[in-house]
Amino acid sequence: MIEIDRVSHVFQTSGRQNHLALSEISLTIENGAFVSILGPSGCGKSTLLYIVGGFVNPTGGIAKMKGKAIAGPGPDRGPVFQEFALFPWKSVLGNVMYGPRQQGVKHAEAEAQSRRLIEMVGLRGFEHFYPKELSGGMKQRVALARTLAYHPAVLLMDEPFGALDAHTRTRLQNDLLNIWERDRKTVLFVTHSVDEAVFLSDKVVVMTRSPGRIKQVVNINLPRPRRRAELLLDPRYQKYVVEIERMIDDTSEDELQP
Amino acid sequence: MISGHALISRLAPLLACLGLLGVWQVAALILSTDSFPTALEALRAIPSILGDKESLINILASIRRMAIGFGVAIMVSIPLGLMMGRSRGVASFFNPLLMVTYPVPKAALMPIIMLWLGVGEVAKILVIFLGVSLPVIYHSFQGAKAVEEKMLWSGAAMGLSALQRMTRIVLPAALPEILTGCRTGLVLALITMVTSEMIARQSGAGNILFNSLDMGQYDTVYAMIIIIGAMGIGLDAAFEKLRSRLVRWSEPGFDIPLSFA
Repeated sequence: MIEIDRVSHVFQTSGRQNHLALSEISLTIENGAFVSILGPSGCGKSTLLYIVGGFVNPTGGIAKMKGKAIAGPGPDRGPVFQEFALFPWKSVLGNVMYGPRQQGVKHAEAEAQSRRLIEMVGLRGFEHFYPKELSGGMKQRVALARTLAYHPAVLLMDEPFGALDAHTRTRLQNDLLNIWERDRKTVLFVTHSVDEAVFLSDKVVVMTRSPGRIKQVVNINLPRPRRRAELLLDPRYQKYVVEIERMIDDTSEDELQP
Repeated sequence: MISGHALISRLAPLLACLGLLGVWQVAALILSTDSFPTALEALRAIPSILGDKESLINILASIRRMAIGFGVAIMVSIPLGLMMGRSRGVASFFNPLLMVTYPVPKAALMPIIMLWLGVGEVAKILVIFLGVSLPVIYHSFQGAKAVEEKMLWSGAAMGLSALQRMTRIVLPAALPEILTGCRTGLVLALITMVTSEMIARQSGAGNILFNSLDMGQYDTVYAMIIIIGAMGIGLDAAFEKLRSRLVRWSEPGFDIPLSFA
C-alpha cells in the first residue's frame, strides 16, 4: 500500500522564483490496484510519481510505502519512463538481465528469466539487438521487461506510451493489460490521455493544473478482463470518458486565474 | 567483390600521399637548395635512421614517454571529467583552473617545469600529461553531463549505489564522448612530446630532428618529419579501430529502425 500524505512540492524556476508544482496531495493506493494520474501537462503528475519512486524529495508532506517513509529509490518500485532510458551499450538481453544480476541472481538463472520476459513482451528473436536498432514501441517493451525482471511490488509508469504512434500505443496498452492481469501488481500510471486512463485503470485521479491538486478521484467500475473492442462500445466506458473530459475542461479554465 | 567506388575511396588516401610526395619532389628539384631535399632523398634517409641503434633507442624513449604521459593523463582526467559532469560543486571548483590553463601552450611551460624538475623524463612526461589532460577532461565532462537523468534513476531503482552509477552507467554512457577526447589527446601527446624534446634536448625523436637541423643534415630532418607523421597516422588509425569496436552500439549507420511495434 502506498500512502501519500499532504505532499507538496516547490521547485525553483530558472528565474529564481518558487513554483508550487504540487499542493497538499493526499492519496492512498491499495495493493494490486491499477491507478492512473490524469491531468494537463504541467500539473505535477510526473513529479508525484517521482516522489513515490524516491527520485525526488517532496518539499512538504510525506509519502509512505508499506508504512515506511520513502527515502530513496529501491527495487520495490520499478519505473518505466516515456524516454525508455534503456542502457544503449547493452543488448536487449543485457538490459533485461541488469536488474536481476544487480540483485545477485546467478547469471544462468537471470538469463533464463530474462529470455522468458522478453518473450512475454513479444520480442523473441531480438535478444541480441541493441536499443539503437529498435523502434520506439520495441524499446518500451524492453523497458517494461527490464523493470519487471527485478520483481518490483509497484510499477511506476511515467507516460510510458506518450512518445508512440497511435497504433503502437493501442497494442502496448492491450499487452500491458494482459501482463498485468496475470500477476496484478500495483501500478501507478501517469498519462494525459483520458481514453488510456479509463481503459486501463481501477481508479483515475484527475488533477488540476498549477498548482497540482487532486480535483476528483473516479472509480472505474468496468469488468475485467477488459477487451478494447467491447469496451469502446460500452456506454459505461463512454460515460466515464465524457465525464472525465468535462472535468479536465473545467480545470483548464482555472489556469487563467493565477 | 569490391566495387569501383569502394576501390577509389580505399585508394584515395594513398593517392593523396603520393600526390603530396610528387609535388614535393618537383618543388625541390625546381628550387634545388641544400636546405630542401627532394622527397626521394628524404625517403632514402628513413632506413638509415630506423637501422641505427642509437636513433631507434631515441625513438623508443619518445614513445615510452608518450605512453606514460598519455596513460597517466587519461587515468586522472576521465574520473575528474566524469565527476565534474555529474556534480556542480566539483565542476565550479575545477572550471576556473582549467580555463586558466587552457589557452597556455603546454610546451611553453617547459622552461619553468625544467627549472623545477630538471631536463629528465619527469619534466617531459609532465608536459605530455598536461597536453593530453585538457581535451580528455573536457570531453569526459561533456559526456557525463549529457547522461540522461532517467537512465541513472533506472539504475538507482535496481539498487545501484552512487559509485556504481558512476562506474556502471555514467562511464559507459559517456564512453563515445570520452574516446573522442582521448583521440584528440593522443595526437596532442605526439605534438607535446616532440616540442618538449625540442626544448629539453637530451633524447627522443624531437632530439634527432633538431640535432640534424643544427648539423645541416636536411634529409634526416625531413625523414624524421615523415617518421613522426607516420607515427601519428598509425597511432590514430589504431586508436580509431579500438574506439569503433568499443562503441559499436552508438555508431551512426547502426540505427536502422525495424518496423515492428
